[in-house]
Amino acid sequence: MIIALAQISPVLGDVDKNVRLHLEIIDKARKEKAGLVVFPELSLTGYNLRDLAAEVAFLPEKDKHFRKLLSISRAVDLVFGFVEEDQGGLIYNTAAYLSRGRPLHLHRKVYLPTFGMFDEARFFAQGKDVLTFDSPLGRTGLMICREFLHLSAGYLLQAGGAGMVIVISAAPGRGASQGRGFDTSRMWELMGEALSFFSSAFVIYCNRAGFEDGMAFAGGSFVFSPTGRLLARAAYAEKDFLLVEVDPEEVRRARRRWPWVRDDKPEVILQALQKILGGHED
Amino acid sequence: MKIDCAFLIRVLTGFIRQELGKAGFQKGLLGLSGGLDSSVCAALAAKALGPKNVLGLILPYGDSFPQDVKDATSLARRLGIRSRLLDIAPMVDAYFRMVPTQNRTRRGNKMARERMSILYDFSAREKALILGTSNKTELLIGYGTLHGDMACAVNPLGDLFKTQVRRLAEHLRLPENIRKKKPTAGLWPGQTDEGEIGLSYEELDEILYRLVDLRQTKAEVAAQGFERKKVERIIGLIKNSEFKRQMPPIAKISSRTIGHDFLYPYDWGK
Repeated sequence: MIIALAQISPVLGDVDKNVRLHLEIIDKARKEKAGLVVFPELSLTGYNLRDLAAEVAFLPEKDKHFRKLLSISRAVDLVFGFVEEDQGGLIYNTAAYLSRGRPLHLHRKVYLPTFGMFDEARFFAQGKDVLTFDSPLGRTGLMICREFLHLSAGYLLQAGGAGMVIVISAAPGRGASQGRGFDTSRMWELMGEALSFFSSAFVIYCNRAGFEDGMAFAGGSFVFSPTGRLLARAAYAEKDFLLVEVDPEEVRRARRRWPWVRDDKPEVILQALQKILGGHED
Repeated sequence: MKIDCAFLIRVLTGFIRQELGKAGFQKGLLGLSGGLDSSVCAALAAKALGPKNVLGLILPYGDSFPQDVKDATSLARRLGIRSRLLDIAPMVDAYFRMVPTQNRTRRGNKMARERMSILYDFSAREKALILGTSNKTELLIGYGTLHGDMACAVNPLGDLFKTQVRRLAEHLRLPENIRKKKPTAGLWPGQTDEGEIGLSYEELDEILYRLVDLRQTKAEVAAQGFERKKVERIIGLIKNSEFKRQMPPIAKISSRTIGHDFLYPYDWGK
């Protein structure tokens, strides 16, 4: 399957304009025969929303934009980010996987960066699950930006059997010492490479570009194969559009060669965690 | 402290172009002093917006710094940007005839604010946004006039130390006399930044980088061979100039107050 990574720069707080941007890119991707288009974190709204977060939030089933994207997903799978409202009025930083006219999975961001330049837990409720689901690409997992930097989130997707890890991101760049994009881009690439080895899984990372309130988003979206091979990487710190051919059979081949996933011991992890957290007496 | 100039120039020109574009502007303007920061900013703006979309205002007080006027004029010509020379002495003198003082700081601040006032008028006249030229060193120690040279619409240089701006200037091949010029706020003849601050920019930036970027303590910085007194003085400068880096506090009365819990992004809807 051909996967398109849309390294866009959404308009901050203007869902209508961003939906139009999504539709343009989806058209372009379909012309290139893409089976899946991946957009960055909060691609329908922009990232640094602050009080705007509540104003651009919607209940997916009731929203006209969401329904529009659902109908488009009959022809091409879509992964994008938006502010999801739940029945109780809480709002989440959510990633959606739509396929064949159905929402296959909605992942609510669990790890909300709230330090330094980040303030997410102030505006968003925290998700509770890191679960996998079946997609046309096989067992799939979604992560949102910062979650990718937590070993635990990647591990949960691995334990859930994901052969396809899709990370949507709005990562600002920091440090400009080396000339290959921002210094922080190296951190994401290292994590992607490592996770693809650990999990023998494809790691598809879609970051954004552009500026919000002086923050420069670092771009540099990438795809690693299940054996840690860099299949493609987008431009650093500017808009880009990447097409990558992905063969899900490679997951199977990688796992025959490297049995890390087969030999993993989730039950040992579970027991050990219970001990560490004091749930068990020795 | 290390910077890759080529990448940085790509980011900063993107910043200028996109921030202005989002606000609906194609043109930028700035005050050209003939010094390092405004020269680098002008060069970046010329790259970002095209030289014809950049206006440099040269705003001397009488004939007090003839060399700087010459340098600013020749830089504008070299970059191919538009420029205009306006003497601020008539406006400043008119005020000080009514409220006389020999206090150099007051006179200097008045001049900086006169320039600001002209820049903002030209911003409306030319439909151009004002590009700030304050660097990270100045902003951190508060070495600037509030509502004067610190006033701007966007600031591409505010996260670069003075010594990093100098490296950018070399990469941009700005004339040597601009790069090697003793930095001065130009508040009075003979004034130099380093003379007034009492530290060289090299040393100041090394200390600031450790305190701010690396979050080291006073003791940790001093242990690396920096004079403790200097480190303490710099910490004092940072602390006492916080008011220049923030919007003034608003007395909170209601349940939703600007700056406290009315929190919207600067780039709202852009």
